[in-house]
Amino acid sequence: MSDPNVYIMLMASLPSPEALFLAKRPPLSRLKLDRRLRVLRPEDARALKLTEQALHWGEIPLTMTDEEIVARAKTATREIESETVRLMIRDRLEIRTCMVALRRRKRGEQAPAPGTVWGFGRWTSHIARNWNEATFRLENVFPWLREADRLLKDGDSLPLQRLILEQAWKRVDRRRGQHQYDFEAVVAYVIKWNIVDRWGRYNNEEAAERFEELTQAALGEHANLLEEGHA
Amino acid sequence: MNELVLALGWIGIYSPMALGAIGSSVGCSLAGAAACGAMLETESGYGRFIGLVALPSSFVIYGIVVMFTLNREVTPENGGALFGIGLFAGLAFLYSGIWQGRSCADSINASKEKPEIFGLSIAPAAIIEGFAVFAFVFALVVSAGIPAAGGGS
Repeated sequence: MSDPNVYIMLMASLPSPEALFLAKRPPLSRLKLDRRLRVLRPEDARALKLTEQALHWGEIPLTMTDEEIVARAKTATREIESETVRLMIRDRLEIRTCMVALRRRKRGEQAPAPGTVWGFGRWTSHIARNWNEATFRLENVFPWLREADRLLKDGDSLPLQRLILEQAWKRVDRRRGQHQYDFEAVVAYVIKWNIVDRWGRYNNEEAAERFEELTQAALGEHANLLEEGHA
Repeated sequence: MNELVLALGWIGIYSPMALGAIGSSVGCSLAGAAACGAMLETESGYGRFIGLVALPSSFVIYGIVVMFTLNREVTPENGGALFGIGLFAGLAFLYSGIWQGRSCADSINASKEKPEIFGLSIAPAAIIEGFAVFAFVFALVVSAGIPAAGGGS
């Protein structure tokens, strides 16, 4: 059993991440957060790392395939002992799976073939079977899907992102429940830190840098040719 | 059989003190951890945090008073009563201390960013103290009815 004092001290040392859409940046820097997280036991630090690797976009290289991303998530859910943390990972990836399906359908793609690895969670087969239904017949599980579909069709990317992050935030809060001074509370804090960080990036020049990064990745070797041509 | 009752009587006399001391130390430790964490994040108000850390220390004092009240020659007639009152008063102090420590940690955690709620945030810890005071007072009241050695009360 881990020392509860460590978690009490850690949680008390972390500023509250509340007010998701008011904060332009996380309440403390990543450097400071990492420094505070050093008090975690090695096994907890590893579980947190696995969680972040499965969820945080910054930990997912652009070259990674869907299969590799899903495999990474499966590794995390297999190796992490805490049921609550496993459910936090599953919840977040199910939201992403729904969004992947909506985006694919909008691009005119057909339902993924059976056996194809394209998403994570309980609903991948269900979504494929109900591909042409507006909300994949998941409106009772994910009531926000209809709104997400509408925003996607209208091209309202900022409200869509807001909706997705809001749902992710609520899910983390729900899973956290009564966990206040334990490992689950720390994981919930770090996930929420990443959500605030992600939202903040939409509002500043880092979005432009990310765009540049994506462009470079997409162009590959041709990016240099363009630069040379430009010069 | 008498020896067992005598042993239980002595356990009852010392229990409030020992269990109260455990409750106070765990409670102070939990609140102390929160205070140390909060001090990393805040620039002022350290004194208030440390003051709150000491709050669970009252349980060992209650335990000492109950112990002295129960302290008398243990006989087969009064051993059971001493055991019952002492042990359960001690358990009340133990759990009150631990949970008050958690409550103090919550209070420190909440008020580190909102110092104006500090006073209100202590209310749950004060309520827990109230329950322990009930256990303390009624342990004294009930202990007055325990027969002393030689058959008197």
